Amino acid sequence: MDNAATLRQQVKQMLVENLMLPCTVDDLGDDQLLFGPGSLGLDSVDALQLVVALDKNHGLRIPDPDTARTVLQSVRSIAEALERHLGAQG
Amino acid sequence: MSQRVVLITGANGGLGQAIARAFLDEREDNALWLGVHTRRDQVERLVAEHPARCRCVSLDVTDPSAWARAMRELTAATGRLDVLVNNAGRQADGLLGLMQPEAWRRVLGVNLEGVFHGCQAALPTMIGQRSGRIVSVASLSALLAPAGQTSYAAAKAGVLAMTQALAKEVARLGITVNAVCPGYVDTEALASLSEAQRQAALARVPMRRFGQPAEVAAAVRFLACPAAGYITGSILKIDGGIL
Repeated sequence: MDNAATLRQQVKQMLVENLMLPCTVDDLGDDQLLFGPGSLGLDSVDALQLVVALDKNHGLRIPDPDTARTVLQSVRSIAEALERHLGAQG
Repeated sequence: MSQRVVLITGANGGLGQAIARAFLDEREDNALWLGVHTRRDQVERLVAEHPARCRCVSLDVTDPSAWARAMRELTAATGRLDVLVNNAGRQADGLLGLMQPEAWRRVLGVNLEGVFHGCQAALPTMIGQRSGRIVSVASLSALLAPAGQTSYAAAKAGVLAMTQALAKEVARLGITVNAVCPGYVDTEALASLSEAQRQAALARVPMRRFGQPAEVAAAVRFLACPAAGYITGSILKIDGGIL
């Protein structure tokens, strides 16, 4: 599994564990939308939990709602943000 | 009940001291972080009495960076925060027609924005641990606003509204948010009244006595205890029956 795939797997694990989703990691697609119509149906409190978890577990700070909307679209978008963040840290 | 980490703002005043002592009495191993700003003599005395259990922390509640520093220090030392008591307060009573905007802003800053900053600073830790208790000390003035207290009453009423809204936001995360509204309590504020003013105040209290700080502290401790886990968004009057 390459680095990006590993990160996506970690994000799925984080989603299932932190949000106590009634599904398994394998049920989540990489491009499954998290919020809005046709999505996993997460809400703003879930978003708050994700923001806290990303900061706590990976040091990725999401400073404002606009960034949150961009980063928290899907498993892939979160993993890509993490990859950029971890890459910037060296 | 296991050991708890408690952060109390405005800990140097009479009410803050009583709340601190209530949590010290609750369990022998509770750890107290006592927020102070301009005065710290009473907190230093408490820390000297209980050096292993109490820490004094400089905390201007109106300053988000002070909150960030305090939370970094606290979580580095303890790894958690179980209870936040927003107790810091400030009054600058006077008629609105004669009030300087800066005086209004200072009162709103400490009493209302201070609670906002405190909740915002504490929430990431509480969300991470999926548990927490926030108790804010409001005032009966929020419910029965007296002349001369437009700023204080507005700020405290804001705290009540914030309490109810935030309680809904974090209810499913195991965090409760409640407020108490003390009436006339025997603290520094009451001591500053003239005898005639004290008698007039007493006449308004059906119990015909002023409340004791320990009586307010007991309510704060109850709302913060594990047994109160299904109470959130509540506003508890502690006022000897004033209606």
